[in-house]
Amino acid sequence: MNLQPKIKRLLWVSAIVLVILVALGAFFTWAKFFREEKEVFANEEEHFKYGSLGAEGDRGIPYYLWMVLPRIFPDLMPGPGSYKSFGVVWEEGHEIPVGFSKKVVGFARITNNCAICHTSTYRLTEDEVPHVVVAGPGHTNNAQSMLRFLFKAAHDPRFNSDIIMNEIRLVNANNYGNGGLSFIDRQIYRYLLIPFTKKALLQQEKQFTWMERYVTGGKPKPHWGPGRDDAMNLTKYFMTSMAEDNTFGPTDFPSIWNLGVRSGKDNAGKQMLLNWTGDTPAVRSVLIDSALGLGAPARPWFLQRMADLDQYLSNLPPPKWPFAERNPINQQMASEGQKIYARDCAACHDPRAKFTNKVVPITEIGTDPERMYSWSKDAAAEANRRVKQLGIDRPPMVETQDPYGYVSPPLDGIWLRAPYLHNGSVPTLRDLLNSPTERPQTFHRGYDVFDPVKVGFKEPPPRPTGPTGELTQPYFLFDTTEKGNGNKGHTYGTQLSEQDKETLLEYLKTL
Amino acid sequence: MLVVVALVAIGFSYLAWRFTRDDPVTYADSEEHFKYGSTGGERESGIPYWIWKVLPKMFPEYLPGKTYTPGTEYASLGFLYEPGNDLPIGVSRRNTQGIDRVFLNCAICHAGSVRGSPQSPRVIYTGMPSNTVDLEAFERFIFACASDQRFNAPRILAEMEGIGAKYDLINRLLLRYYAIPLMRERLLMLKGHFRFGDWEPDAGPGRTDTFNPAKTLLEFPLEKLETRELVGLCDLPSIWLQGPRKEKNIHAHWDGNNSMMEERNKSAAFGTGAFPPTIDLKQMARIEQWLLYKEPPKYPFPISDQLSAQGEKLYAQYCANCHGRNGRDFNGEYVGDIVPIDKIGTDRHRLDSYTEELAAVQNTLYAGYPWRFSHFRKTFGYVNLPLDGVWLRAPYLHNGSVPTLRDLMNPSTERPVVFYRGYDVLDPVKVGFVSDESRFDAEGRSKDERGNPRKYFRFDTQVKLGGETPRDRNEGNSNAGHEGPAYGTMLSSQEKDAIVEYLKTF
Repeated sequence: MNLQPKIKRLLWVSAIVLVILVALGAFFTWAKFFREEKEVFANEEEHFKYGSLGAEGDRGIPYYLWMVLPRIFPDLMPGPGSYKSFGVVWEEGHEIPVGFSKKVVGFARITNNCAICHTSTYRLTEDEVPHVVVAGPGHTNNAQSMLRFLFKAAHDPRFNSDIIMNEIRLVNANNYGNGGLSFIDRQIYRYLLIPFTKKALLQQEKQFTWMERYVTGGKPKPHWGPGRDDAMNLTKYFMTSMAEDNTFGPTDFPSIWNLGVRSGKDNAGKQMLLNWTGDTPAVRSVLIDSALGLGAPARPWFLQRMADLDQYLSNLPPPKWPFAERNPINQQMASEGQKIYARDCAACHDPRAKFTNKVVPITEIGTDPERMYSWSKDAAAEANRRVKQLGIDRPPMVETQDPYGYVSPPLDGIWLRAPYLHNGSVPTLRDLLNSPTERPQTFHRGYDVFDPVKVGFKEPPPRPTGPTGELTQPYFLFDTTEKGNGNKGHTYGTQLSEQDKETLLEYLKTL
Repeated sequence: MLVVVALVAIGFSYLAWRFTRDDPVTYADSEEHFKYGSTGGERESGIPYWIWKVLPKMFPEYLPGKTYTPGTEYASLGFLYEPGNDLPIGVSRRNTQGIDRVFLNCAICHAGSVRGSPQSPRVIYTGMPSNTVDLEAFERFIFACASDQRFNAPRILAEMEGIGAKYDLINRLLLRYYAIPLMRERLLMLKGHFRFGDWEPDAGPGRTDTFNPAKTLLEFPLEKLETRELVGLCDLPSIWLQGPRKEKNIHAHWDGNNSMMEERNKSAAFGTGAFPPTIDLKQMARIEQWLLYKEPPKYPFPISDQLSAQGEKLYAQYCANCHGRNGRDFNGEYVGDIVPIDKIGTDRHRLDSYTEELAAVQNTLYAGYPWRFSHFRKTFGYVNLPLDGVWLRAPYLHNGSVPTLRDLMNPSTERPVVFYRGYDVLDPVKVGFVSDESRFDAEGRSKDERGNPRKYFRFDTQVKLGGETPRDRNEGNSNAGHEGPAYGTMLSSQEKDAIVEYLKTF
């Protein structure tokens, strides 16, 4: 075929124009959706609190959408304060709460990191700004409540671009030259990001049906409550996609400072185990599995981040008793208490001692068995297989036997690790030294005012709410009679005299 | 074919030009700019000029004065009209998208009027806390209009044209089918937001609830707020001498919750309807610059040098540490510091209305901009403020519960239980405005001015027993606190007079 020169030229020009357009389109797509901005942090602590685990691709919510959701659905929020009402920690002057990361991958996206469940606050009265302690148990964080909010919102007809953009338009938009989201950015939000997030949330909800399933007898599963989650079921259903069962194993978020003391072998050369039922032999494995659970993708960067976190957390000292001014430790009592501790507690709780970080059989420890039932060696084997498939090489979870008891951990910083026992069913150390029948049957979780006498958090008073001053209790009612919440067991020290209990308690404050 | 394309292009360009129009009325003089210049509020929140003009004619029954006075339509709300201006001080005008619109600016809360006597001409001072404007009454007025079935597009259009509006076809259609219905929708939305106003006592002239509106902007579920945070009423502040305040790093807002001037300005600008995308940064910067060194006016009556000298010594002993050496020298150990509430002992409702939750979420205001808010803090007391121009800042204490300086020198048991706000005639003896109960009749009209129809606001400081809501119990107006030996309330009457005389020099 012999084309006329004119047509040939036209074809060439068209081809070049097409190539240019495609290149521009590719660049635009990369810039708006994939371009990564590197995060910079002043120190490791800031990185822990606000750094990304890389989960933006999987779980990231577009920043401005995330910001306005509480404003679009105030009726679905537990209380005032945007995400703070879910009990997340929000430091003064900071753009986002602790445990959230804002990372630009094309557009700014919000995901969570370790700190959301592993940062504590405490204060002595409500008329004080709370103190923030990194790597502490996230005892105020009502993660389940926040998840449920997101899913409810995604189902709500108000979750549409018209309503949401009406809000975002007043938050950040470059329509009068002040800077901010450009016209194109706003169209991307309107036509792509908002509908896509709605879909993604509804998709994610499907992975949480087990959370809302009923237990036998037609009763709904108890709430996790602030400071807890159904840890091994999360792992089971996310990492292994095993069939749903009826187990419900609520677990207190633990402190993750000073992890070096739990890793490796004890003084006698025996392997130490982590996780409440001794499921894992290494800190590195727990970090990796937890991060994968938050949606972190298994890229080379990921393993480096895990190594850095391991380094940071293993060496992070536990917080010391901070109330020297208003509630100082009675040193004399404390040294008396140390004798009792050495006699009655050290063998199971001293770092690297004979029984520390080893499984205590359930028949011996007698605490609530539900957490134990929620995991199995089959689940462990499956999880190990999945992680290997992702190309990650980590010390494997224990596959040799089903969980048969609970691990006794070291008590570093124990003063800030309330409530106590694996399921957070005993509010204070003093209560733990009472026999189970004398421990509180119900109490409230999520309050961060500290009780320096009983060592744990205080019971929040109900407060007049709304225009008519109705007495309301906004904090979560924890009921020890519910499945998984039993407060029996660990009766050690309950037979001591009142005096001995007081001195032991004084010593425990020093750990 | 080409002609059609050209016509369409021209038509499109014209519409584009018209609908992207953004022309504020500007003023060369800084004082005029402060009184009438725009913060950008009209862009998002603007009321069409002719609607502003016609609402008092259509709905006079919703105004405190119950009458329509063309030219000074909003005077019964305490808005100040100057000769030659048909908009009051504090209302700016801007053409946005082809329609002239108005909204509030800084001067609505930070400019006031003063008369030496009932017969004297009125003087306007900018930068002083507004003493006459009843912002809440204005809100109630406009919400009542929007709720009324007579507030509909065809009727409003007709009424506007009845008082002289001339709209071209495009604007007529825009107003008829879009702008007026949208305005009604927005006003009703705001009315819902501002329902917290029904749960606390009336603000009255010169006062506002600063931070409960901030919670509504962020859509906090209001019924879930603790009862103790529902009363947020406080006196409007003066805003002179921001520069020296910046230098001393003074925490501002009554509870000291923000030490950064630029953030406070932007935060207040929300009150003028300006949002992060719509705030006019250039005009704001002009005002900010001007306020840095704007001084308060001098006290207009004679001051006794002898008495003032005596007062100076007493002031140095009792007051200077917390309030600064004088009205211009802000040096003092505790100037700008937050005094714990138990120590200062004043009414704690304003303090409690500002919460940790609000402080946290305010960190998201101006997100994505270099000036994102990051300086709001929850505090637990009230701030020691400098006293520049204190003679113009009556009534006193954060909640405006003490009418004059001389009253503040007395223990709370001797302070007036009931007095009147909103009157602008100076009291040269006690220093403040004429406010004594005996000067006003049962309706709140001034007994000294028979011809003045204004009804002034009866301020009651006492808590009432019973009742369902903080409003029923009149909470938040207590005049207790700032008293005791350290505050000079135990001094002799003559010594107190001396201190007040000295304060006149500030």
